[in-house]
Amino acid sequence: MTDDREQNAEVVVLGAGVAGYPCAIRLAQLGKKVIVIDRAEIGGVCLNRGCIPSKALISGGTLFHRLSHASEMGIEVNGAKLDLSKLIEWKDSVVKKLTSGVSMLLKANGCTVIQGDARFLSDKALEVATADGKLKVNFQNCVVATGSRVTALRGFEVDQKQIVDSTGALSLRKRPESMVCIGGGYIGLELGMFYAKIGTKVTVVEAMSSLLAGVDAELVQVVRKKLEKLGVEVLTDTRVLGHKKQKNGVVVTVSGKNGERNLDCDAVLVTIGRTPNSDGFGLDKAGIQVDSKGFIPVDPQRRTRVSHIFAIGDVAGQPLLAHKGTKEGLVAADAIAGKKTIYDVIAMPAVIFTDPEIATVGLTEAEAKAKGHEPKIGLFPFAANGRALSMGEPDGMVKMVADAKTGKLLGVHIVGPEASNLISEAALALEMGAYVEDLALTVHPHPTLGEVLMEAAEATLGHPIHIYQRKPRERSGASTSPATS
Amino acid sequence: MEFKLPELGEGVHEGELVKWRVKPGDKVAHDQPLCEIMTDKATIEIPSAFDGKVAAVHVKEGELVKVGQLMLSFEGKIAADAAAPVATGAVSAGPATPASASRPAAAMQATGGGEVLAAPSTRRLAREMGVELSQVQGSGPHGRIMREDLERPAGKRPVAPPSAVRTLSSGGEERVPFVGLRKRISEKMRLSKDKAAHFTYVEEADATQLVRLRQDAKNIGSKEGIKVTYLPFVMKAMVEALKQFPILNSSLDEEKGELVYKHYFNIGLSIQTEDGLTAPVIKDVDGKSILELAREIQDLVERARQKKLSREDFLGGTITLTNAGSIGGLFATPVINYPEVAILGFNKIFRKPVVAQVNGHEEIVIRDWTYFSISLDHRVVDGGVGAEFMKLFIRYIENPSLLLLGR
Repeated sequence: MTDDREQNAEVVVLGAGVAGYPCAIRLAQLGKKVIVIDRAEIGGVCLNRGCIPSKALISGGTLFHRLSHASEMGIEVNGAKLDLSKLIEWKDSVVKKLTSGVSMLLKANGCTVIQGDARFLSDKALEVATADGKLKVNFQNCVVATGSRVTALRGFEVDQKQIVDSTGALSLRKRPESMVCIGGGYIGLELGMFYAKIGTKVTVVEAMSSLLAGVDAELVQVVRKKLEKLGVEVLTDTRVLGHKKQKNGVVVTVSGKNGERNLDCDAVLVTIGRTPNSDGFGLDKAGIQVDSKGFIPVDPQRRTRVSHIFAIGDVAGQPLLAHKGTKEGLVAADAIAGKKTIYDVIAMPAVIFTDPEIATVGLTEAEAKAKGHEPKIGLFPFAANGRALSMGEPDGMVKMVADAKTGKLLGVHIVGPEASNLISEAALALEMGAYVEDLALTVHPHPTLGEVLMEAAEATLGHPIHIYQRKPRERSGASTSPATS
Repeated sequence: MEFKLPELGEGVHEGELVKWRVKPGDKVAHDQPLCEIMTDKATIEIPSAFDGKVAAVHVKEGELVKVGQLMLSFEGKIAADAAAPVATGAVSAGPATPASASRPAAAMQATGGGEVLAAPSTRRLAREMGVELSQVQGSGPHGRIMREDLERPAGKRPVAPPSAVRTLSSGGEERVPFVGLRKRISEKMRLSKDKAAHFTYVEEADATQLVRLRQDAKNIGSKEGIKVTYLPFVMKAMVEALKQFPILNSSLDEEKGELVYKHYFNIGLSIQTEDGLTAPVIKDVDGKSILELAREIQDLVERARQKKLSREDFLGGTITLTNAGSIGGLFATPVINYPEVAILGFNKIFRKPVVAQVNGHEEIVIRDWTYFSISLDHRVVDGGVGAEFMKLFIRYIENPSLLLLGR
């Protein structure tokens, strides 16, 4: 085809992931002529290789596991089988529904989507290599939403068969008998637990002393217990030295407290983190530099150093969360449309789909202390919640952090059933500047899991109904004991 | 990157930006002073926590700054940057700190951190209206800023006191922001008058011997570059008398219902500065010589005038001495430096004819004369006790040699 094709856009959104596509839609709603460019699928990592497909698999794995362990409820399932290949197909169909939905939305809003590899020619134009040849796209504003990719582990070349990353782990057609997960972060644990639930012998290797770095240790402990129950071996303080591929598997050599050890397995899952996609598309041609970690520095409106070019999502810095990227996309869109807006977020929730789930928002106890608060803690166990018991899911708790002097809510940390769905109430409370009392005084319907937030608030204030508590919990001694467990 | 106002010390949440020491474009080294912040009667230099170049400052001189508030943005590195690894599977769930900003839009500051109590929709409305939320007084519970607080006509909107803009109204009035030291004094004086049951007792004293002794000490001190005033002698006399009347060196802990007797003598000294009255503390007066005290007072006064007092200079006072007489007046009725229970006013010394016994008969002689006034918290100290204290104190003033004898 020809090389001299040229298009003009008011705004180019580079990347159609969960940061880019909402940004494009909002821009279109605000009357802008938008071109979205992505080198791969609409929906980015989240929809295609991350949040959505992993949750689809996890739901399947959990259902299978529960079916096989429901005799307490009088359910005996003999010969339950899991066809992983079919589960994967179902997962793919879920992904397809969502991505085609997003494509439709972009189209309906009048956004032009171009598939191809883009690179900056200047701070005014991009060149896109499409299947039909090269194309020049001129823009007034550009939003860089190129996301992040799996961080490679030196010495472990991913073949997506024996050595897989999070992408490959979502599409294994045959269940590995055994798996070594390198990295005890949330991706490693979510996928590791999935495989453990469908019968794989899983070993988690983590270099740090604890799993899920950054999450309150009391919460992690609950997940750790479940890992033990599932027969997952957890090796913390353990480094990976190397591996050898064999005919029928891989031998991973690790070094921990008890010296070196060889771990035989069918598959190795490498999840040691994510790296921003800020290289290889000529950001410097646009006058943009990245920081030492590869992130693009941005201001509260998500403008880069070049004020008509924005950056949002993973490429614009921590935390690498889909919903953070979406929020930034909407802020950038409003800013481009000339609205007085900034990224003004108090509460950034995070959810981890382990079993039980973990969800947190706001300050942890340690962070509150570091910020000069005198934290007051309220604990409430799911074991004292009627709905959790009647679901057969009594493991977990809510840990509420408040400022002792003012009673203002600082953070909520949940490990337990449906934690991911429960956290939004806490996020709203924090965003509204709620006091613990506000949560305690709000009627929560019975019997629901949501009552745990009300009760944790009451516990923070020193008078929960469904647990006996001598006095408001102090860090030194007094403990809560569930009355119904 | 952003630089936010760091913690200033226990119980200090805000301060007034007195002066920027840097401006946009300046190269700044770690520990270099960035600005001066006046808090709780002390002006503190805020050192830089980074090496780099100042991109923009976000606070104007004269504005109130809260701990944690964005002060300036810079290009460079935070010196003690705990470099977090790139998402090693960790989730960061804290309140979102806006990512490193190289060039933030100056008029668009986040209200983040929850310092301003307002719902997201209210915060957005405020941005759209161009209203700085920290300048609005909320009418809701806990001072929450409600949408209605913003929707009220601008003139009727309740405005929080610190507005750094001088507005000259047409009638020839000038409205000056009531902030900084002035505001602190106002709060402290109000608190004292609300809490303590003030009464003032005045007594006169023959200061002739004191004047002579001080003249000698002045000559000795000047050789060492020490300016000896009357204050060290007055302080010494106070301490000796306090030892006999320890209740004047106490404070009342209302919460616990206890009187706190202090077995140390730290005397606050009120010093008039350009910005207002301030009262740094001379510690352990009992253990120091007249010349040591003189040197310390000299240093304190100098630093107070240069606004270089630190927070530590104000801590631990047990009683206060105010030198009311340097301008004139017979005597003043000072306001107690709460939660102390006593403040002694030292007034001018003047020459006066008095009737004295000379060689067995009465004569009119010229003496150096002065009045001392003491304000006491009647909740703690009764009039009789205060009078006895003053009697003893004045005995030391009239016969300063007793201070040497320890009698």
